[in-house]
Amino acid sequence: MHSDLLIILVVATALAFDFTNGFHDTANVVATSISTRALSPRVAVTLAAILNFAGAFISLKVATTIGTGIVDSGAVTMPIIFAGLIGASTWNLATWYFGLPSSSSHALIGGVVGAMIAANGTAAVQFGGLLGKVVIPAFVSPLLAFVAAGLGIVLTYRLVARLRPGPAGRGFRYGQIFSGGMLALAHGTNDAQKTMGVITLALVAHGDIAAKHFAVPGWVVISAASAIALGTYVGGWRIIRTMGTRIIKMDPAQGFTAQSAGAAVVLAASHVGFPLSTTHVMAGGVMGAGAGKRVSAVRWGVASNMAIAWLLTLPAAAAVGATTYGAASLFGSGFLGPAIIATIAIIALIVTMMRRARELAARPAGAGS
Amino acid sequence: MILATAILDAHALLQVAYVSLIAGVGICVVYAVAVIAVTRSSEHRRADRHVASALYAALASIAVAGCCWAIVAGIAIMTKK
Repeated sequence: MHSDLLIILVVATALAFDFTNGFHDTANVVATSISTRALSPRVAVTLAAILNFAGAFISLKVATTIGTGIVDSGAVTMPIIFAGLIGASTWNLATWYFGLPSSSSHALIGGVVGAMIAANGTAAVQFGGLLGKVVIPAFVSPLLAFVAAGLGIVLTYRLVARLRPGPAGRGFRYGQIFSGGMLALAHGTNDAQKTMGVITLALVAHGDIAAKHFAVPGWVVISAASAIALGTYVGGWRIIRTMGTRIIKMDPAQGFTAQSAGAAVVLAASHVGFPLSTTHVMAGGVMGAGAGKRVSAVRWGVASNMAIAWLLTLPAAAAVGATTYGAASLFGSGFLGPAIIATIAIIALIVTMMRRARELAARPAGAGS
Repeated sequence: MILATAILDAHALLQVAYVSLIAGVGICVVYAVAVIAVTRSSEHRRADRHVASALYAALASIAVAGCCWAIVAGIAIMTKK
């Protein structure tokens, strides 16, 4: 009975995390389209939500990587997964609060690894898998997007140099509808699968699926796709502002280049099963598109704040995951501990949202979010 | 029970690097050519230079077809996993 209640709580927490993932990462997909006025905000967010939903059905390779390549899946228990999800969601909401585009993927992996270490020690973590499939791609992918977008924008500017700005800008705005669409599809493919992987791990821990035959059930695919699409539709407007206007002031050619380079990196990584961060990739693409025009066009102060958030993501989410596991364990290994933690988390979330709403209400009109 | 070997897949990482660089830069260049060709075609048509307009229109069609191929290839890559 307690085990059944716990699996329901874990699945609900995983879907809540998936919602925050869509909410938090909407910026990656739509910020450049909105800031260059290629699409209106509502149309951009709706399109991204639909394509995120569709993208989640395309492949399950990243879900399998999350489920099998990073921690010892035989040692995973439902309280570990619950604690990992709380660690990831907490980090997502904290970075959203400060408008920092950090990685939901790394938050999720960090949270699960932290809880696993708290429960079983370091032996249960596959550090080789963590390094090879998460940490190294995390450093390489934004560099790749930076270089691809930088080279792309230099060549693009050379090619269109003799065109009048009006027609050229219009052409690249049309292009952004497709490049943004591909990015949204790639984001759905890459990010919704992480939640699918975690829910499937919980089902393995609950005994519904054999660890040897790790396969994502259909209802998990549908529910994860729906949660990320809903989160995307609601949108994290604070991070959209950071990605769209605070790193560089973008023109349509730069927006198109950043999105195309980002989509290319995310698709290439998804193809080989690397669960990389679309946030890192898109931020790298935006910076590359800015630096390709003029190095000083990039606001390096904002970029360095983001880099600090990136470096902190894995350890911070791991610390919250480990602490959550420790706190839940005080009430035994059953449903009670996670239920108390979930209640506290919901109350903390409501207080944070109310505080944020009060701050926005107190701010003069037009000061932005 | 460990289900996966913990190794750094350098080959896969290298594949991601070159595929994303070639695809990322390539699509930007091809689309820029499409924008130029469409704009020039329209300018030449307004100036009654129909042959030049048709040549630019043909170039634009090839470039747009290249971009469409890239989109289809991207979706195919996602679905073939």
